Amino acid sequence: MKVATTLTVNGTDYAVELDPGTNLLAAVRDVIGLTGSKEGCDDSECGACMMLLDGKPVNSCSYLALQAEGSEITTVEGLASGETLAPLQTAFLDQGGVQCGFCTPGMLISATALLEQNPSPSEDEVRIALSGNLCRCTGYDGIVKAVLSVADAA
Amino acid sequence: MTAVEEPRTAQFVRPDGKEKVTGAGRYTADLTLTGQLVAKFRYADHTHARILRIDATKARALPGVLAVLTHEDVPDVLYGGMVKDRRLFAKEKVRFEGDVVAGVAATTAEIAERAAALIEIDYEPLPAITDFEAAEHNSALVHEDWESYDADDVLLRAGNRMGYSTIVKGDAEAAMSAADVVVQSRFVTDPVQGVPIEPRAVIAQWQGDKVTVWTSTQVPYAARGGIAHTLQIPESNVRVIVPLLGGGFGAKCDFHYEGHIAALAKAAGRPVKLVFTRREEFFAVGHRREGMVIELETGARSDGTLLARRGRLVLDSGAYCGEGGFFAQMAAMHALGPYKIETADIESSLNYSTNQPSSSIRAPTAPQVCWALEQHMDELAEALGMDPVDLRRHTLVEEGSVTATGQVLERIAMKETLEKAVELIGYGKELPDDEAIGIAVGWWPCFTASSGAYVKLNGDGSGTIITGAQENGTGAVMAMPKYVAEELGMQPEDFSMLYQDTDAAPSDMGSCGSQTTFNSGRAVIAAAVDLRDQLLDAASEKLEAARDDLELVGGAVRVKGSPEKSVTIADLAGSGTFHGKGAGVIPDGPEASPAEGCLGRLGLESFHAPQLIAHAARVRVDRATGVVRVLQIAAAHDCGRILNRIGADGQVYGGVVMGIGQALSEGTQLDEDGRQRNAHLTDYKLVTASDAPQIDVAWIETDTPNAGPKGSKGVGEPPCVPTAGAIANAVAKVIGSRVRALPMTPERVWEAGS
Repeated sequence: MKVATTLTVNGTDYAVELDPGTNLLAAVRDVIGLTGSKEGCDDSECGACMMLLDGKPVNSCSYLALQAEGSEITTVEGLASGETLAPLQTAFLDQGGVQCGFCTPGMLISATALLEQNPSPSEDEVRIALSGNLCRCTGYDGIVKAVLSVADAA
Repeated sequence: MTAVEEPRTAQFVRPDGKEKVTGAGRYTADLTLTGQLVAKFRYADHTHARILRIDATKARALPGVLAVLTHEDVPDVLYGGMVKDRRLFAKEKVRFEGDVVAGVAATTAEIAERAAALIEIDYEPLPAITDFEAAEHNSALVHEDWESYDADDVLLRAGNRMGYSTIVKGDAEAAMSAADVVVQSRFVTDPVQGVPIEPRAVIAQWQGDKVTVWTSTQVPYAARGGIAHTLQIPESNVRVIVPLLGGGFGAKCDFHYEGHIAALAKAAGRPVKLVFTRREEFFAVGHRREGMVIELETGARSDGTLLARRGRLVLDSGAYCGEGGFFAQMAAMHALGPYKIETADIESSLNYSTNQPSSSIRAPTAPQVCWALEQHMDELAEALGMDPVDLRRHTLVEEGSVTATGQVLERIAMKETLEKAVELIGYGKELPDDEAIGIAVGWWPCFTASSGAYVKLNGDGSGTIITGAQENGTGAVMAMPKYVAEELGMQPEDFSMLYQDTDAAPSDMGSCGSQTTFNSGRAVIAAAVDLRDQLLDAASEKLEAARDDLELVGGAVRVKGSPEKSVTIADLAGSGTFHGKGAGVIPDGPEASPAEGCLGRLGLESFHAPQLIAHAARVRVDRATGVVRVLQIAAAHDCGRILNRIGADGQVYGGVVMGIGQALSEGTQLDEDGRQRNAHLTDYKLVTASDAPQIDVAWIETDTPNAGPKGSKGVGEPPCVPTAGAIANAVAKVIGSRVRALPMTPERVWEAGS
């Protein structure tokens, strides 16, 4: 039995009908059609599915979509302003923080949440904040440098 | 020889960068086709059993199910790399827990799962053959029909032994007995997984007799070949397209599930999509880093000169060959390592078991054997009363050294990488009581292969590169516009790329063997040179100037010394019919002259343009808990000329961190039946951002004979080779004893130190 609800993703309201068991990631990817957020484990282990819920990062694979009603949901698609990339997005490219790119959406969300809460984090604080996001390509070096470069600039 | 001192920010934005940071990029699992069904597999219910009966009647009757396939529904053919030993769907037997017995396509994932569970299968369970070391002498066989399999005779198969290789030089036994010091060591390693963050996904759609398959593979042409072979259709009826690939690390090499999904789509008459769960990504894929037993014995003169090396290696092939048939010889080469050794006797066996199949994971066989050998070398140093670095200074290969297989090494910077790593880590400095520094060295060959590419010029003067190369994330393909632009006096941003589509470019080896720049890059540059020649001819006519007087600069062809006499490439382009093609000339391989007694020769007895690596690790060990923290890694590499610094550095950062995982936390644990006990990321622990240490990267550039384009060698695999060995040697210094099992978990470190 589907339940009608409204989800607000990147500032747009979507009227959707969902099975109560649908997780937020599946609702956003399969029902709303925004595939930027990735499924890497379906178990809150990898962080590739991370979204902001009212500014707080959540593993959307483990969050029921119906619980997100009334919240502002932000995905990687909501970070740029039109054609202008957010400073973090540019920094990820400049610093070699992107290789295969599969962890990138979750990493960017996690880093965005960190800088919102702590605009000038230390390297250790960046590393701890990102430790819920697994990356197999970069050794985290370019990612950490990218976040620090944006923090420094702020 | 010079160290590279270049700023490490991006010289240009990788062409796939914007789509990756905005979420607009499409990976295979992001695609949806109209009418698409969902696929699920029924896996083996035992790790080793005879199949007596399969009845899919109930599954087929379930509403929403459009296809159920077993071995009866596809051509009865075997596939595999050097041994054809596997079917799409298990027939007489299941041989590991991930063997696929049946596939289902249904309208929803839930229905497909229910249908898969409804298939009735009767088995006669057989004892699991999990002990791969004993398997060689086990009369119970994993493959009873092994002699009838189509296989490469060089493998020297026998019973459960799938591959066998030896390296023999001189009389090692006599030399050993004449040695001043002899050390013996035995090491064992657990299997390790590739763990790309993107779980694999496949979609197949038929249009008439032709099938298009979108798949997360590193080797699209091998996937095409596998589909054509298993379904018995021509390759021209198969098109394989790889959308963005979310990492591979070898795990997505080889033909895997594309045949199953193409067959299901054909049977269902609808597009079918498969997306693996993380659990399947662990236990089902026939592709992991193999477990090993490594026994080494080295005899040395009191000055450290290596008189003799004996080695016995046993590798777990698991249930099938996959593309890992060359592992026995590769492991044997790493048991020698980049050292000068007067005599050698190495024996290496690759054995079938009923465990998960092994295949290439980043530098296959090297990290484990290197971890063992480099600990063994430190044990030798201790027995000799020598400093480990001094022993390596005395014994490492250099220009002119002859390897145990008779390869005369040309220009290499092995010792220079050692010195650089030693310098960067501050070897010998005062450290707290719970810290120590360890050193390890390694080597890895370049792989030559043919490739082919086109570069076409569009009517507006922009260009398109068409290559069979596969981008797995490293940036090796993304750097190609840079090389083409350099040949044509244009900008990288002037070029689009059509790649990882088997209908577009000639066949390519794919993203494996650290060879994308080496081979595909060579072809792309050759195509650009061909196009340049055509443009020079056209400009020569237009400018009425001799061709030799012309140069391509700033998007124009101009007369040297008279820049006002020029024509833009856009003006030359006309309607856009210029196109260059090229393959380039494969560099000659080095010659080896292995002794008669060297068996199982698969071509790895010489290492083409070897890459040399030295890592130094500074670690802290909590003696009370056995927890090891890596504080710093210094990584010095001779990979020839570095063409794309940010990309090359990225390979080292990523490879080293992967190596730290292999050293300390990554190991697949099996129960007594050979089932994985930790097939998920909570108990199979990857290194996180907060675990990763400071990593200092240094490149020692050499003019390598027979190198790839612009003097390059491979880069991708070597960075994970010596990391675990360096960490192990540092740990041993702190706890005063050796950890002889990999990964070196806190329990194992604590036990060794107690």
